[in-house]
Amino acid sequence: MPARNHKQWMAAPNLKDGEWIDSRVYTDQAIFDEELEKIFKSAWIPVCHESELPKAYDFRTTSIANEPVIVCRGPDNEVRAFLNVCPHRGMLIERRPSGSFYEGQPSGNPKRMTCMFHAWQFDMKGNCVYISREKEGYQDRLPKENVGLRRLRCEVKFGGFVWVNLNDNPVDLEEWAGKPFECLRKTLDAEPMEVFHYHKAIVNTNYKLWHDTNCEFYHDFMHYHNRVTGFNDAYFARKNESFEHGHIVVGTFEVNYDQYEGFESRAGLSFPHLPPNQWYMIDLFPGMNFNLRGSALRCDVVTPLGPDKVMIEFRGLGLKRDTPEERQTRINHHNSIWGPFGRNLHEDLIGVQGQGTTMRPGSESRRVLHGRQENQTIHDENGMRHYYAEWGKWMNRLPSDPEAPFTEPAAVAAE
Amino acid sequence: MSWTYLCDASEVAPNTLKLVDAKGVRIIVANYGSGFRAMPPICPHMEEPLDESGVIANCVLTCTKHLWAWNLATLEMDGAETEKPLKTYDLKEEDGRLLALVDQELTYDFDEEDDDDDDFFGKG
Repeated sequence: MPARNHKQWMAAPNLKDGEWIDSRVYTDQAIFDEELEKIFKSAWIPVCHESELPKAYDFRTTSIANEPVIVCRGPDNEVRAFLNVCPHRGMLIERRPSGSFYEGQPSGNPKRMTCMFHAWQFDMKGNCVYISREKEGYQDRLPKENVGLRRLRCEVKFGGFVWVNLNDNPVDLEEWAGKPFECLRKTLDAEPMEVFHYHKAIVNTNYKLWHDTNCEFYHDFMHYHNRVTGFNDAYFARKNESFEHGHIVVGTFEVNYDQYEGFESRAGLSFPHLPPNQWYMIDLFPGMNFNLRGSALRCDVVTPLGPDKVMIEFRGLGLKRDTPEERQTRINHHNSIWGPFGRNLHEDLIGVQGQGTTMRPGSESRRVLHGRQENQTIHDENGMRHYYAEWGKWMNRLPSDPEAPFTEPAAVAAE
Repeated sequence: MSWTYLCDASEVAPNTLKLVDAKGVRIIVANYGSGFRAMPPICPHMEEPLDESGVIANCVLTCTKHLWAWNLATLEMDGAETEKPLKTYDLKEEDGRLLALVDQELTYDFDEEDDDDDDFFGKG
């Protein structure tokens, strides 16, 4: 194919509806704002893992769709989530990323969360327990019972992850993700896990471009490590399976780690109930990824910051009962591929940052192709087609023509 | 029941508080000018450490966090904010040594409010 002039470049590709999308879904500020409202305010987000809140009064703060969120463990051991917003004047209540309320703070008391602005206080169940100079200011007009925190749906599930939903009436979490997790349910729920690695990256790209990369393995051409340890018949037979609500699971095969110099088999530390050196990938709409490579689990969660900016939080998990030696080995296994200086992660980040460079607000819209058809195996792009059909439903926009209302694309309906 | 040594009276200057360990029980000793008191080391309101936030003036101990206050001479509650009395240990001074009757550790109730009901997210 020769190079193309502008008219040719802008023409729709000779593929079926659903096999390509318009890059405006990655660049348009109005579409981005609408995604936060329509998708992220009703989706289940795994904001952290229970092992990051091991003791009563431990907390973590985060945000979903620009809303500040705090999760904390109560004295009854329950993990609850609230908006991290004071009901008085809208102050951010807790500013630290994580910590414990067990000990007091200069502007707070033990076992309560305190808004430092005017010293209003709340317990771990979100009850308002103190209004400074309450009677003098409000007499009996505004009792504490009427100014509790905004509590959010929160469940600990699927291997101890803490799931939060800003919508009070969302689809049930089991119904939302039970089926995609089925392949690893027994493994992840066999015994307590523990986060041993956390880092985050802020990347100048759209959050969906990151999720796209997790949804397809065709980009293993970028990963030299994956090619030498994986490209074989069993690899190409791996299924890329779609599930309701926009989720994808890439089935497993046995990775030959010893084919790459400096790497070793992970068989000795396989997660429970798994054959050695397996590799599963669960991708949840709208941007979460659970990736198990034999001895270590990785979880990515996106927080979209703008059409061309995303924060990705990376967690690595092992088994809580690991000996120090086992833990160190798991950490090595995890970091040598997925750490900030690992073999693969930076390549993924280069890929999506390159896309972010060509697709930013103001870039001319162009076609992004999702048209590989390989019997729904690992290099098929059905994962992205499935994702964008779901996205279209939530947004009521057609991914190939975002100004048009959604209709089921022919390519996806056929699958 | 036994009298337990806290500290020497000379170690607690007038209008100050001193946190001591009395055989494993944390006790705060207050010198209000005309006498001493021995108490649990926290404010009965919200567990604030009184060695950090307590001040004494004119016989009145005030927890500066939320202005709960008590007259240490009479143990009456003082000011508009205070809702609970202080608990104190019996105290005596012998040869400049302060002793408290520590039978068991005095504590306050800080019960959290009732748990949420199952229908929490369905309420109007």
